Amino acid sequence: MDTVLDLLLGNTLTRLVFFPAAACLPLLFFPRSAARATKVYVLAASLVEVVFGLLYLGAHLAADGTFPTVHDGGARFTWVPSFGIGYDLAMDGISMPLVMLGIFLVPIVILGSWKGIERNWPAFGAALLLLTTGVLGALLAADLFLFYVFWEVMLIPMYLLIGIWGGERRIYAAVKFFLYTMAGSLLMLIAILWMAWSFKNLNGGVWSFAYADMLRLQFPLHQQIWLFGAFALTFAIKVPMFPFHTWLPDAHVEAPTGGSVILAGILLKLGTYGFLRFALPLFPQASKAAQPLLVALAVIGILYGALVAWVQTDMKKLVAYSSIAHLGFVMLGLMAFDLLAWQGALLQMVNHGLSTGALFLLVGFLYDRRHTKKFEEFGGLAKVIPVFAFFLVFSTLASVGLPALNGFAGEFLILTGSYRALGWPVALATFGVVLAAIYLLKMLQLTIWGPLTKDENRGLSDLSFREIAALVPLCVFMLWIGVAPNRFLEPSRPALAATLAAFNERLAEPEVATVTLRGDAKPADRIAIKMAEAGR
Amino acid sequence: MSRADLISLLPEMILCGGGILILLLEAIGPALRRAFTALALLTVGLAVWGAWMAWSATGSADTVLTCNGLLETSGVTYALTLVILLATGLCLLASQGYLRRERILAGEYHALLLWCAVGLLLMLRATELLTVFLSLELLSLCLYCLAAFHRRLTVGTEAAIKYFLMGAFVSAFVLYGIALVFGATHSTRFSGIAESIAAMSSVPPTLSLGVLMLVAGFGFKMSVVPFHAWSPDTYQGAPSPFVAFLSVAPKVASALVLWRLLDVVAGAGVPGVAAKWSGVVAVLSVLSMLAGNLLALVQSDIKRMLAYSGIAHMGYLLLALVTMDRASLMPVIVYLLAYVLMNAGAFTVIGMLYDKPNEQHLISDLSGWGYRYPLLGGCLAVCMLSLGGIPSTIGFIGKYVVFLNAVGDGLVGLAILGVLASLIGVFYYLRVVYVLFMQPEEKQPEGLLIDGWGRAAAVLAALGTLVLGLWPNGILQWLLEATASK
Repeated sequence: MDTVLDLLLGNTLTRLVFFPAAACLPLLFFPRSAARATKVYVLAASLVEVVFGLLYLGAHLAADGTFPTVHDGGARFTWVPSFGIGYDLAMDGISMPLVMLGIFLVPIVILGSWKGIERNWPAFGAALLLLTTGVLGALLAADLFLFYVFWEVMLIPMYLLIGIWGGERRIYAAVKFFLYTMAGSLLMLIAILWMAWSFKNLNGGVWSFAYADMLRLQFPLHQQIWLFGAFALTFAIKVPMFPFHTWLPDAHVEAPTGGSVILAGILLKLGTYGFLRFALPLFPQASKAAQPLLVALAVIGILYGALVAWVQTDMKKLVAYSSIAHLGFVMLGLMAFDLLAWQGALLQMVNHGLSTGALFLLVGFLYDRRHTKKFEEFGGLAKVIPVFAFFLVFSTLASVGLPALNGFAGEFLILTGSYRALGWPVALATFGVVLAAIYLLKMLQLTIWGPLTKDENRGLSDLSFREIAALVPLCVFMLWIGVAPNRFLEPSRPALAATLAAFNERLAEPEVATVTLRGDAKPADRIAIKMAEAGR
Repeated sequence: MSRADLISLLPEMILCGGGILILLLEAIGPALRRAFTALALLTVGLAVWGAWMAWSATGSADTVLTCNGLLETSGVTYALTLVILLATGLCLLASQGYLRRERILAGEYHALLLWCAVGLLLMLRATELLTVFLSLELLSLCLYCLAAFHRRLTVGTEAAIKYFLMGAFVSAFVLYGIALVFGATHSTRFSGIAESIAAMSSVPPTLSLGVLMLVAGFGFKMSVVPFHAWSPDTYQGAPSPFVAFLSVAPKVASALVLWRLLDVVAGAGVPGVAAKWSGVVAVLSVLSMLAGNLLALVQSDIKRMLAYSGIAHMGYLLLALVTMDRASLMPVIVYLLAYVLMNAGAFTVIGMLYDKPNEQHLISDLSGWGYRYPLLGGCLAVCMLSLGGIPSTIGFIGKYVVFLNAVGDGLVGLAILGVLASLIGVFYYLRVVYVLFMQPEEKQPEGLLIDGWGRAAAVLAALGTLVLGLWPNGILQWLLEATASK
């Protein structure tokens, strides 16, 4: 039996989740003026976390490139035994890529914020590290109560990041972000409590919030719809799906660069992850019933996000709206209930984190130099800062979906897979790809191409070594995923296939009149392991 | 009086004695005033020991009646006794600095506060309505005096007069209610009333009216809508550290008395009665949640905001009482404990950071002070997040058990109303956090006295909020066991 200390010190998920939080403690003793020392410390801590992530990956990635389901410590620990609340972290092929992305973005965010954040670095570093803990915890929690706690806890550091280091309307944006997210998740809490009661009543009075136990619950359709509604609303707000997206542009525009990168890079993915992990598998019939609605919203999101991005005069807002469009693709893929589309969606979550993260960084670097993000202030920058221009073109093309870069692989899989399942609505979504090319190339046109009209831009300094160091890893992965997508698709395939198989199996079950408990637990992970062993 | 009676009265006797001792010392050696806080805290500590003695003398977690069956000692009363003593202790810690700054440090304050605690302990242990009334009067008289303790303060006097007038009115209500209940059931004991009702085929209107009057009376003490009007004015005018006590402790005892009363009336098994009173409590709960939160939203004075938010919190608490069964005791106690910690913590910090008790306590006055006073600002922020019910705080655990109980009893609609109302709450609690940490400083502090006692109270409350929020199992488990016994 592992003790908590063993878990913390070993090569475990617990260490992965709580190391950033533990690394916050020394920050309490850093004076506010010691910005440089703090930056170095926080960067070092985030790099250690990357090493931990790689060690974990190395220890568990199977020889054939797939990633099995790993429960931390091999057992379920209790946190609040009187209510059956467990401390259970688990990683599988679905959460692994997102966890790695989250870990990988932190040092990049720190490098990217080096100049932009001018005051109170100890608090900034602490907020960033706590946010990492919250995000990783939410991605890895295999207990619904634990998931909820991490899900909410992650709001506070993000609220502080936007509210303290943000732009002019930062407080408005921070409060809006907080309330929107909380509005959904409170209803999800009620849904979780309802599920826990249902389970307890069927389980001889024993409480449990465990994900595997919740999967055993089979609700009649009318109850499923309510429960699915609560979960879906929470996640749709987080994604954000049209029409719950209005907090996103505000949050992005007001957030500091680092905050935007984290927000776009990983926080939004929690919404799509939530659909894939919770809303769809837990309530298959309701998901099927809601499919037309959610597909419609996803397509609207793709087109609407693209059209609104097109008319923006502010570079950061353009990238923010492009996020809505890109995540519309992810949602389209998820709602297709098709393996190819799901693989594409998961890959596209990572892709979006990389390319949009890079774009936000670049906007931030430009803002650090010129203190504006308006297109009218730029033009012809390629002549003055060619290195910046190179990275901007590279990231933009990745975002557009140019073949050989990452965006293409993801979008292609999503569109192929969902066309197979959904038919003509996907044709509409395909226009989104064209529109993406239009608005993103417009951004290039207005910023780096054309004549150099503003005198203020003549003296701009090109990217520093530090800034290049932040961008290069992102670009390396964009290219790598673009040329060898299979390397990145393979780890997740068994888990996605198993989740989909279980989903379809449940969908085929006859409808029940009252809530019942499926006799034999068939958690997706067990099927996943079997499939991995069978070697397909 | 037997030995068992004396032991069961230990906490009350200790508190009474401590109060008398402090008053005597005040008379013979005013120079000792600085030591009164320590002495009063020692008394509270001894009372905790006394409560433990009284509880362990019962041998098990079962209910034991002493003093001719007038006082109950059980796991429930023990738990709530500790909650009240915690509130008293926090208030004493918070008060020293305030009293010194305002130059009103005197032994009466400590003595009155200890006697308030006596009234509360008796009230929550009383098994008979007249004892409840007497302890309510003991409590109320001390509270009126304390509300007016800052004599030079016009708003303080106004607040105390308002509180006194409405309180006296409500006392009459309670007494009349007791009379009506006695008239209908020929008993003032809860057990006797229950037996009497059980023998009835229908409930006479006089009994219903009496119970309604009692609900109104204790609803007043708990400040639930529509009996809430006194609380914002009183909180605003009364000394802030005392409000840390006033806003929590009387609600603790009143909630338990209310539960006893409803349990007796609804548990007797007369058809239709339980549903009717459930409906009454549900209406009070929804009104309090909505009105409290909406009114708090528009306040610019932090004390008034917390007064209205307190109304909303009592609404959540009533949500647990809607079912009026034994299972609702655990959520009620957890919620009260949470409320004591976070609200007392908030008022402690307010007492230290506002130096002009006669003026409005504008939230915007705190602009940017989170950096000037990181410790106090941090504690206030933690208390606010806890009041808002953010996970990892005891405030969330409190809401969790209340909503879990409600969902389990099929009150999903009420639970959804509750979470939506608490969303409104998050908005104004966050306002305090962003004012503290996200806005530039507007005001220079002057005349503040931030002493170690006060800091200790704030840190204790904030740490308790976090620690119990992260590791709630011990307390939940213990309360589950304590409330399960009958």
